[in-house]
Amino acid sequence: MNGFLLTVGLILCFLVLLVLYRVVFGPGVFNRIAAISAVGTKTLIILLIMGYLYNRVEMFVDISMVYALLNFIGCIAAAKYLEMGKE
Amino acid sequence: MIFRKDDIIVNTISRILIPFIQLYALYVIMHGHYSPGGGFQGGVILGASMVLLLLTRGYDEAKYKFPEQIATLFSSVGVLIYAGIGLLCLFVLGNFLDYGKLAALLNVTPSHARSLGILGVEIGVGFAVMSVMYSIFLDISTGGVLPEDEEE
Repeated sequence: MNGFLLTVGLILCFLVLLVLYRVVFGPGVFNRIAAISAVGTKTLIILLIMGYLYNRVEMFVDISMVYALLNFIGCIAAAKYLEMGKE
Repeated sequence: MIFRKDDIIVNTISRILIPFIQLYALYVIMHGHYSPGGGFQGGVILGASMVLLLLTRGYDEAKYKFPEQIATLFSSVGVLIYAGIGLLCLFVLGNFLDYGKLAALLNVTPSHARSLGILGVEIGVGFAVMSVMYSIFLDISTGGVLPEDEEE
């Protein structure tokens, strides 16, 4: 089970690198916001997998919940910024 | 300046989510000895809930719920709680923030007094961090000029 989770985590880390390309070079702001949101979601899953690997899920669930929450608030803040820029 | 928009999805989700975010922040502050977290992290989550309120409800309603004067007062009160507990330990002939000496005042065992002292300090830190986060965001989002200032 640990080997499987480690493989999934490594694949997700590789995917984060792919999405990071979109964050840096992506044309336009919308691509960047979507890519940052995707990075946040992947980081959340990577944190939970780390929790399983270290046998301390109850600690890592707390951290990943805070991460999801701040990701949500950051997404809304970026959307609000874009909305105000139009006016 | 952030104004309220009649966006039903964002308004409903934030209305449901804000109380649970605050409850979670209190859990992080109270449960800081056993799990990651503590005063600063819980304060940041509390401040994030206030920022979400300001983002979704606009400046006018956020000012009604949590005025900036109250935020300034709370940041001072948080530092006062922190320093007050530290100085209280000095008055009962201990070092600064030496909670074990508070056992004589609280009428409990020293280890219990240490736990309570750390909890009190963390509550103070949480207060200060929450209100400072909120007032920094308020200052940045309004550009430092509040509507009341312009009228005068």
